[in-house]
Amino acid sequence: MSWWELCKKECAAIFKNPAILLTIFGGIVFYSFLYPLPYAQQIPRELKVVVVNLDNSQISRRLERMVDACPQVQLSGRAHSLAEAQRMFVDDKLAGIMVIPENFYRDLLQNRRPTLSFAGDASYFLVYGTVLKGMTGAAQTLAAQIKVKRMVLSGQAMALASKQYSAIRLNIFSAFNETLGYVNYVIPAIFVLILHHTLLMGAGILGGGQNEELRAGKGDFYWLKVSALKLLLVRSALFVGIYWVLSMYYFGFIFSFYGIPQIANFSELNLFIVPFLLCTSFLGILFGLILPRRELATLLVLLSSMPLVFGSGFVWPVSAIPEGIVKVLQFIPVIPAMNGLIRLNQMGAEFMDVYPLWQQLWLCSALYGALCWFLLRRKKQANLTII
Amino acid sequence: MSGLLKMSSPAFTTMLKREWRLLFLDPWLCSLATWVPLVLAVVVCSIFVKGIARELPIGIIDLDHSQVSRAIIRNLDASPALQVVQSYPDVLEGAAALRAGTIYAFVVMPEDLERNTIRGLAPEITAFVNSQFLLIGKVINSALVQVLSTFNAKVEVKKNLAMGQPVPSAAISSALPIGMQITPLFNVNTNYAQFLVSAILPGLWQILIVALTVLTFAAENRREGLQAWLADGPIRACIAKYIPLITIAWIHGLLFLSGMYIVLGWPMHGSWFVLVLAVFLTSCACVAAGSLFFLVTRDAARGLSLSAGFAAPALAFMGVTFPVSNMTLPAKIWRSLIPSSHYIEIQFSQVNYGAPFMFVIPQFKALVCYWVLFLVAFALVTIIAARGKNTEEVV
Repeated sequence: MSWWELCKKECAAIFKNPAILLTIFGGIVFYSFLYPLPYAQQIPRELKVVVVNLDNSQISRRLERMVDACPQVQLSGRAHSLAEAQRMFVDDKLAGIMVIPENFYRDLLQNRRPTLSFAGDASYFLVYGTVLKGMTGAAQTLAAQIKVKRMVLSGQAMALASKQYSAIRLNIFSAFNETLGYVNYVIPAIFVLILHHTLLMGAGILGGGQNEELRAGKGDFYWLKVSALKLLLVRSALFVGIYWVLSMYYFGFIFSFYGIPQIANFSELNLFIVPFLLCTSFLGILFGLILPRRELATLLVLLSSMPLVFGSGFVWPVSAIPEGIVKVLQFIPVIPAMNGLIRLNQMGAEFMDVYPLWQQLWLCSALYGALCWFLLRRKKQANLTII
Repeated sequence: MSGLLKMSSPAFTTMLKREWRLLFLDPWLCSLATWVPLVLAVVVCSIFVKGIARELPIGIIDLDHSQVSRAIIRNLDASPALQVVQSYPDVLEGAAALRAGTIYAFVVMPEDLERNTIRGLAPEITAFVNSQFLLIGKVINSALVQVLSTFNAKVEVKKNLAMGQPVPSAAISSALPIGMQITPLFNVNTNYAQFLVSAILPGLWQILIVALTVLTFAAENRREGLQAWLADGPIRACIAKYIPLITIAWIHGLLFLSGMYIVLGWPMHGSWFVLVLAVFLTSCACVAAGSLFFLVTRDAARGLSLSAGFAAPALAFMGVTFPVSNMTLPAKIWRSLIPSSHYIEIQFSQVNYGAPFMFVIPQFKALVCYWVLFLVAFALVTIIAARGKNTEEVV
């Protein structure tokens, strides 16, 4: 069979298979809009908190207004006692409680250091951090104002006092994701996973389906009639080609659509994407050669998604994950790819910084490619009669 | 005629026995029903086994080389969340390392830090934190703030004492006029493992049940075809298939729950009865959804692809990572279609603050609504069975 004929046969096998089309094209388009959906607002805002003001002085009411004014939280009500606040917290699903103690104003005047109490629902991590940032931020601003006032009262010039209220100031810049947006955080990583998973499923469905045909003795078995190397080259080239277009849809159109930074330049991005897609195609073809039925690749991919997401290092630091798990995960193409692409495209790393990951992808490609070739040859020999 | 048919059709218990046997004879189904969930749960739990992010690598750029800058660096290194791994000569190199991802943050000690601190000129320390990894960035951010405010307090208290404030407490109060006490509710040591795993496991459980259901129905299709299976009364056959699946799902759910709240000993304040009931209803909902995915496509691969779209992104919609109150309407609508989002609200409200049953009635109502899917499935199998008979007659 000529290269051209084989190409046509392979294309037909992919594009005339509704399960592959649904998985690859349906999946890619569906997920590109579904995954960012919950995070459309990027950052949690105006989370509801309740205040227990046992002081009721002018300054404690000012603190209330300051808390209400910050973007993170919103005062949804007042309680007269801690017990009432707790009840409101549960019933109205609030996110935090602030308690201003009795004699807050008097203690401040007398330089006695009153203590404000804050509580937040820590089972929702992001909510907890946001609520506390809002409430403690307002309280710190109030504390700074009081210090400045005291310095001015003791004879310092206002202009100096407003700078010197703290011995050393700390200025923290958020690099790469300046707005701390959730879309910018999750989507660049998850999209690499989606490309990886749908490609594995597509190639697995193709191969598994051909195994089913082989067992049933139906079909023309063109894929056994050509040399193993030829089939592998054509099939992986087709998948890499299809997925290159889909990658451009994700990294180009969808990233622009959601305003996600695209720092990597076009050639470096492609230089990295190619071994990722090749490695994933070989792994998918390998799935297709090993698994007896076409749906099983989908099953494996579906079950592995959670461990892969949380073991990849973008949610939870790699240093905190047991070493054994980290080592095993390095064999899955999505892990080096996710780390490399986030560094290149989100953090602006030099290509040399991701060079080890790039090598890792090529090594995995070689490994899976060789395994595919070996298994395909064995399969051909076992089915000599059909050919 | 119909009476004769009924007499020849097998007893319901025989059908049930057959379903159990089929489940455990197929190696893939048997694995999914037994060890696969356990292995996955163990892997997920061991990823988060350390619970709290510690010793995150950061870099230092010390342009001052003074006692103050070294003291701050020591304090940073002593913070449990941080570890100073590298010192860079200038900001450019620090930035390059930050971009390469070898460090998560770097802190710049400016020139004349010590002199300006002594003169009371309030020098500024700058830190650049990698916020692309949001959760890690937040941990570093709060550790930096904590280290520096403790350091500041020490400096200022010393200064106040030196300037003649007689009592230490007054000196402290001048440095920090307002004290703050922060209480994390329901998760006392802000253990991330608990926070994430308690949502990941239900998400994983949902994926497992939907996949198991699709594959179990597909196994029937592969054996003798759907018509043969449905020949002795489609609805009866369908119910006989549902019962083992729901039982297995229920057991898995309870195992996951007891793993977290009994074996690992995480605090659980609510009623086990409510949880057991919620797990049962969620099992029914997921099995019903899974069976529909198969019956609509009548193909295992496409059915599983639909299941993937349904169950894989469920974690994002649970509202545990990102609050529901800040989701847009389309996100809320999609969220309400997924059983695990209702289930997780019941689980959290029970586990965290032992909410009374009245409190979770809306979620229970939502879970009961999924029973409609069973009716749709019954309608579908009846149609499939009838179509089979018609073709037989034609033949």
